Amino acid sequence: MFLLLLKSFLRSRIAVAGIVIVLLAGITGIFIGQQHIRKQQEAIALTEHFQQEHIQRNAQFFDKELGLLLYYLRFSLVNKLHPLNALSIGQRDVNSSIQSLTIRNLEGQKYDTDLFNPSNVLTGNLDMGFVLIYLLPLLIIAFTYSLLSEEKEDGTWRLVATQSKRPVNVLIRKLFVRMITVLMVFAVLLLLATFILSLPVDKLYLAVICLAFIYMLCWFGISFWVISLQRSSSTNAVILLSIWILLTVVLPGVANNFITSRYPVPESMATVVQQREGYHEKWDMEKQPTVDRFYAHYPQFSKYPLPDKQFSWLWYYAMQQMGDDEAAVQVKQLQEKLRLREQSSEYIGYFIPTLHTQQQLNSLAGAGLANQLQFMDSTARFHERMRLYFYPKIFEEAKVKSVDWDMFKVEYFSEEKRVSWGGLLLPLLLVTLVFSVTGWMNFNKRMTAFA
Amino acid sequence: MNISTTKLFAAQIYWNTLKNKALRVLLGIVALLIIYAAFSGALIYQEQTQTRQHYQHEVRTNWEKMPDKHPHRMAHYGYIVFRPKHLLSVFDYGMESFTGNAVFLEAHRQNSANFSEAGFSTGMLRFGEISMSMILQVLVPLVIFFIGFGAIATDRENGTLKMLLSQGATWKEILTGKAIGLLGIAVSVLLFAVVVLLVACLGIAGSQINGDDILRIGTVLLTYTLYFSIICLLTVIISAVSRTAKFSLVILIGIWLTAVVIFPRTAQAIGNFLYHTPSRIAFEAAVEKDLIKKGDSHNPDDPYYKALKDSVLKAYHVQSVDELPFNYGGFQMKEGERLSADIYNQHLAGLLGIYQQQNNVLRLSAIVNPFTALRNLSMAVSGTDFQSYTGFQQQAETYRYALAQHMNDLQIKYISNKKPDDHDHPPSISKAHWKEFPDFAYQRASLGTVMYHELWSLLALLCWTAGLLLLIKLLSNKLKAI
Amino acid sequence: MTVLSAEQLSKQYNGTLALNNLNLSVDKGEVFCLLGQNGAGKTTTINLFLGFTAASSGKAMINGIEVHPNDSSTRQFVAYIPEIVQLYGNLNGIENLDFFSRLAGFKYAGAQLSSFLLKAGLQETAHRRSLSTYSKGMRQKVGIAIALAKNADVILMDEPTSGLDPKATDEFTRICKELAADGKAIFMATHDIFNAVNVGARIGIMKQGSLVHTLHSNEITANELQQLYLETI
Repeated sequence: MFLLLLKSFLRSRIAVAGIVIVLLAGITGIFIGQQHIRKQQEAIALTEHFQQEHIQRNAQFFDKELGLLLYYLRFSLVNKLHPLNALSIGQRDVNSSIQSLTIRNLEGQKYDTDLFNPSNVLTGNLDMGFVLIYLLPLLIIAFTYSLLSEEKEDGTWRLVATQSKRPVNVLIRKLFVRMITVLMVFAVLLLLATFILSLPVDKLYLAVICLAFIYMLCWFGISFWVISLQRSSSTNAVILLSIWILLTVVLPGVANNFITSRYPVPESMATVVQQREGYHEKWDMEKQPTVDRFYAHYPQFSKYPLPDKQFSWLWYYAMQQMGDDEAAVQVKQLQEKLRLREQSSEYIGYFIPTLHTQQQLNSLAGAGLANQLQFMDSTARFHERMRLYFYPKIFEEAKVKSVDWDMFKVEYFSEEKRVSWGGLLLPLLLVTLVFSVTGWMNFNKRMTAFA
Repeated sequence: MNISTTKLFAAQIYWNTLKNKALRVLLGIVALLIIYAAFSGALIYQEQTQTRQHYQHEVRTNWEKMPDKHPHRMAHYGYIVFRPKHLLSVFDYGMESFTGNAVFLEAHRQNSANFSEAGFSTGMLRFGEISMSMILQVLVPLVIFFIGFGAIATDRENGTLKMLLSQGATWKEILTGKAIGLLGIAVSVLLFAVVVLLVACLGIAGSQINGDDILRIGTVLLTYTLYFSIICLLTVIISAVSRTAKFSLVILIGIWLTAVVIFPRTAQAIGNFLYHTPSRIAFEAAVEKDLIKKGDSHNPDDPYYKALKDSVLKAYHVQSVDELPFNYGGFQMKEGERLSADIYNQHLAGLLGIYQQQNNVLRLSAIVNPFTALRNLSMAVSGTDFQSYTGFQQQAETYRYALAQHMNDLQIKYISNKKPDDHDHPPSISKAHWKEFPDFAYQRASLGTVMYHELWSLLALLCWTAGLLLLIKLLSNKLKAI
Repeated sequence: MTVLSAEQLSKQYNGTLALNNLNLSVDKGEVFCLLGQNGAGKTTTINLFLGFTAASSGKAMINGIEVHPNDSSTRQFVAYIPEIVQLYGNLNGIENLDFFSRLAGFKYAGAQLSSFLLKAGLQETAHRRSLSTYSKGMRQKVGIAIALAKNADVILMDEPTSGLDPKATDEFTRICKELAADGKAIFMATHDIFNAVNVGARIGIMKQGSLVHTLHSNEITANELQQLYLETI
């Protein structure tokens, strides 16, 4: 029985065409992900290479004053890529994975974006995430929209209904055949991805599989419910496609507009204006108050007095520090807003399966806003560490040669990832359950034999 | 072709749609979405424009308020320019959310435009935004497909088609009439959207709306009408050649998915695949490498700058730069700025060239995909396309260069060559000079220039319309009632 | 006067002969019933007279004009009533009639439209009801009204009585006689032997695309006709 159903399904042209299209798109997606990872890794390798060269060259030119040398020197921190990032590029094409910073004020440097073509970002990446979130549901819709209506329209259902004790079981079996097929298609893609991208098989990998599996189940649930309304094929197609648009275009769009206007971030611009004023105005002010505030921030440096000169590096870096200190309020507000954005998106995602799946996929791949925020925090800590290392040396006017410059290699940040299975899967499971049960009840209430 | 018969079919499909409850609900949802999009577009425009104007004003005030200073300090104090939004960005957000909004301009250094919405977004933004243009480009065609898929196929299935023809109606009248009826529905939605847009624009800009804005809205009306004509002609053609209404619906949905979802992404991905762009680090490293090759101002023994110095000393018949009648430091920096800006601009032009090549795959594909054609046209007219963005970047860079060189000129002219001692007052010039330097004023491309750039897209839309009309003419003689 | 005629009319579909050398003519005021199994060529004949398909050889003529390639002019003389008259469900009887009349180039006032429906046998109370509530017989009456409103000389009917209850069939027969009395030529493809005899028509029996017998209903009883029909096919 199962085999017969499978045969009759796979003999339909739409089934074969759909599978081929999704497979092709998926393979393209895998290679696009690979291209993304390669580009990022090349950039990281280049950063490692140039940091050495850059430090060597500048240490040679500015060998007299450590303060002047550190005006120029940049140290890099890299936001490590997880191989899963190839499946879901997420925000990693917009937000730079590399921060190259001088020890001057931080706020003027850390928002530098990567170079990217805005048209690319606008059209969106054709990665595996896209195939999973957009295309597989379409495949599911194409496979199931006329599951029952077709039989009624062709007149075969009257026979099926009289032959079987519980006709709905035939439907379930037909649905099952399609489910196996869709899952097989995805499994093939995943297997290919695992080999081509050499994905490590670990907890995160398992989480991605579970997420994808339940997301597809969710769409089968929605389809089952629409079938249970027992309308004509055309009506089903219209309803299912409308749901698809609602979930992939309209609701996420509305949610995005909501979040953007609910948590606007004028602080971003305030930060850049404020840090610039905070630093530059000090040039035209008395030196002592600036330095006193610097001592207040770092009591450990109060032992270095302000040299009685028109220009000193202590004063200079104190001024730089003031840029950061005076923008601190706005920076905090900005971070707070971004955290709120992240959190609200997550909550909203609980009700919108597509959004939830994308956000979870991004966060598993370390490509979401949360990852970016953590990287920013880590950048600030990295910057602070470099400052605290060099400040005393600059103030003591240590020799450039006294520092072991080979020590300063590119550093790496890697996000600590925990998988909270409940938050990952429960929202989708719930949606699946609601639709399946409602569909089941519809069939129990009424099962007509005619179109 | 009998006009009154054609009108009869047009009226039939138009009024039937409005009488049908489900379709009324569908159109109602579209109308609500349009109002929502206009409202939220206006809100975003207002919020962001106010923020940007506020800070642009603050930046200018602070600039003018700077006390007497050394001009080079002023060059490092620099300027921040904010990308102004076009009024029509209310209609089409285009790339707005993905492009940087503020650039810090300073001497020696070309900073990136930072603070894009995308950078501060959760992945949500990637699903797209609800803008009026998105609704008209993406959703309305689908609604038209839903309304019109059975326009002829249902009549064929019912046998009504035979009656229509036996009553003397011709295929041409049926196809044209039904297409016009569908177009009537689409244009009604479009007109509604334009009215809502005008209200939104009046609400936020009031009397500041100028002729150019009105002209652009007019262009929107025309190009979208052209697009909808294509959609409606396509609908009746597919419906006419399909054996059943279900088949017609499946084909139309397939066309929609291909044109709107799959095709643009694939075309852009092909562009990306064919043309590689450097990462930021590679780009900067290449600029630095060229710069060092030409002359490294940091290197005290650099031959280029040594030669420059020698030639200046020789021309003025002096032994050291201190004896020169102008500030040599400023002179050297001016030369350095020129060199570095030249090299940077060469590299930037190269990079933008690659971006353009990547985008060209999608751009050229407009000839096979009218959706892409309209999308490009719509963004361009709304001042939210790639050209507008690079235009802003280039103007910001021009302004930065002018600022840096202006400050260098001031230094050359007014700052003494003598190095001050530790207890001297640092050299400075009067703050009156700051006001002299004008504020940044972004110049938008005129509608003519914009349309010239998008001629290809316009051509694509016209070709499609003409092609489909021709197809209807051909089909009218070929189609069978049975 | 002959209004509808076929001269050595043949039609081939992909090598199979659907209609073979058909010769017949129908006069003004005459009813002609074409009997035959499914696939015998009845619907093909009607399609040829409507100009929906072109003849492979021979002529289909209406009012002396060859249908192909002049189908746009011959159609003004012809009305067509399919097996199921599927008009627009969201319009009522009058509106449907108005729509189809306008297609044929006629604009009638409401009272006139009503009179056509009445003449076709549709009760006044039904005129303004949505067509989706109509029975098969009522729809057919709207189809006849359309033919009346068009003032067609020929009415082509495809299995008009299949699926009608006996009372409705009887009423239909009566209306057909009235139409013929008014001078219309009626050409119907049917399986209904009794109706064919009752309507007082000339009767043709078709087999595999060929017209095998032609006889008049007053020459034969229904039973004899059935006998002949069964022997023929």
